[in-house]
Amino acid sequence: MIPLQAVTLTDRILNLIGLDASTAGPLVVFGVSILAAGLVGTFVLLNTAVAGPYAKRKITAAFTDRISVNRIGPAGIGTIVVDSVRLLSKELIIPEDADRPAYDLAPILLAGSALLGFAVIPMGSGIQVADPEIGLAYVFAVASIASLGLLMAGYASNNKYSFLGGLRAVAQNIAYEIPLVLTGASVVIFAGTLRLSEIVAAQEGTLLALGPVAIPNWFAFVNPFAFALFMAANLAEVGRNPFDIPEAPTEIVAGYQTEYSSVYFVLFYLGEFIHIFLGGAIITTLFLGGPAGPVLPGIVWFTIKIWSVFLFTQWARSAVPRFRIDQLIALGWKVLLVLSLANLLLTAVIVGVIA
Amino acid sequence: MSNPWIAIGALAAVSLVIPLAMIAVSALLRPSVPEQSKRATYESGEVPTGDTRIRFNIQYYMVALLFVVFDIETVLIFPWTVIYNDAVESVGLGQALVPMVAFIGILAVGLAWAWRNGAVRWVRSPRAQRQYSE
Repeated sequence: MIPLQAVTLTDRILNLIGLDASTAGPLVVFGVSILAAGLVGTFVLLNTAVAGPYAKRKITAAFTDRISVNRIGPAGIGTIVVDSVRLLSKELIIPEDADRPAYDLAPILLAGSALLGFAVIPMGSGIQVADPEIGLAYVFAVASIASLGLLMAGYASNNKYSFLGGLRAVAQNIAYEIPLVLTGASVVIFAGTLRLSEIVAAQEGTLLALGPVAIPNWFAFVNPFAFALFMAANLAEVGRNPFDIPEAPTEIVAGYQTEYSSVYFVLFYLGEFIHIFLGGAIITTLFLGGPAGPVLPGIVWFTIKIWSVFLFTQWARSAVPRFRIDQLIALGWKVLLVLSLANLLLTAVIVGVIA
Repeated sequence: MSNPWIAIGALAAVSLVIPLAMIAVSALLRPSVPEQSKRATYESGEVPTGDTRIRFNIQYYMVALLFVVFDIETVLIFPWTVIYNDAVESVGLGQALVPMVAFIGILAVGLAWAWRNGAVRWVRSPRAQRQYSE
């Protein structure tokens, strides 16, 4: 019944209810896709719910030798519920002369666009909403919609801190997007496809075996230089230390989200964390073999990998000081861009000579 | 296999419904105590002065212009990376690689030009420069 090649979650559900995926009507497919999308959205939001109000605090507390939340539930896990109710029931204060449609749309855009990227990420155990041919380009495209949301928020708030924060956020996002995409392109040279399931498939097998330890053929091991570049550019894309200047609390209060309260603040916070996880998911897919791993099912390995990337961002947040805006622009355009161009050409030469 | 863009459209619908649902839930829960001074924009406790929509550093424009150039470049590089492996096999390394090296070379010259003309150097306004040197 189920064809041999990788099938998406949508097609699996279609097969499950006895329909042929290639002949089902678009409305039926849409209805089934809503189910699949709901599952994936729930998975992502679950991760975010644990990360945002709870894990982030606990991790930072561990780094700075504090206890952090511990009052409600075992090890303070009930904080998640309490905090979400608390934040949602806060009064919504809209600043004077705010640019209304943009002010209201920005949080929706930010949270929604972050979730969109997960549509094409192969999460293992057959969980992948869709698998278009241009998956990688799609992920990069929807991940950068966030810049628009940040600019809208910064400009519409009618606050000078927000305005500065929005400008900084966009300058940073666009400066680091090009190294990110170019480094992603160097992975495509190895894989020869933009379809994410095929990029994951290209990382199967063993690179080299050191006695009993087999190093897998992940692109992080094949091209560690690209991996390091991508991690650095990704930190800047999600706006975490040392690249957290858009919201630098000691300089411009909270940047673009200064004037946002209540549910809008929750949406910003949510969007940021979904973005961190989306960055982790892209890194996992491109460099860490996707959901590949021994013994445990794919979805568990996928979760472990995106949480490792999350842990890395939190580690950087606790351990690394912040750049200045001029250093940030200089690093992005003069160092990372040049290095990523060099990486792309070197990869092409090496692959061309070996192939 | 079904059309993947239908599934992506479904996820788009879901990712629109989730924020809207949160806003709806919050609208049911939250209090509303309107008060004029509450709505003043935050300026570290001072009374806000002047307009927010002011002229800002030209540097942001320069960076955005450069971004447009390089973003289009990445769009042109992507198809090449996809076919590169097959192209090396069918037409050889020289024909597959040299045009892209030339293309990136021209871009590198462009970047060097922008760099030399200070497009990626952070400029300070004369006033900020005075404050910096004091």
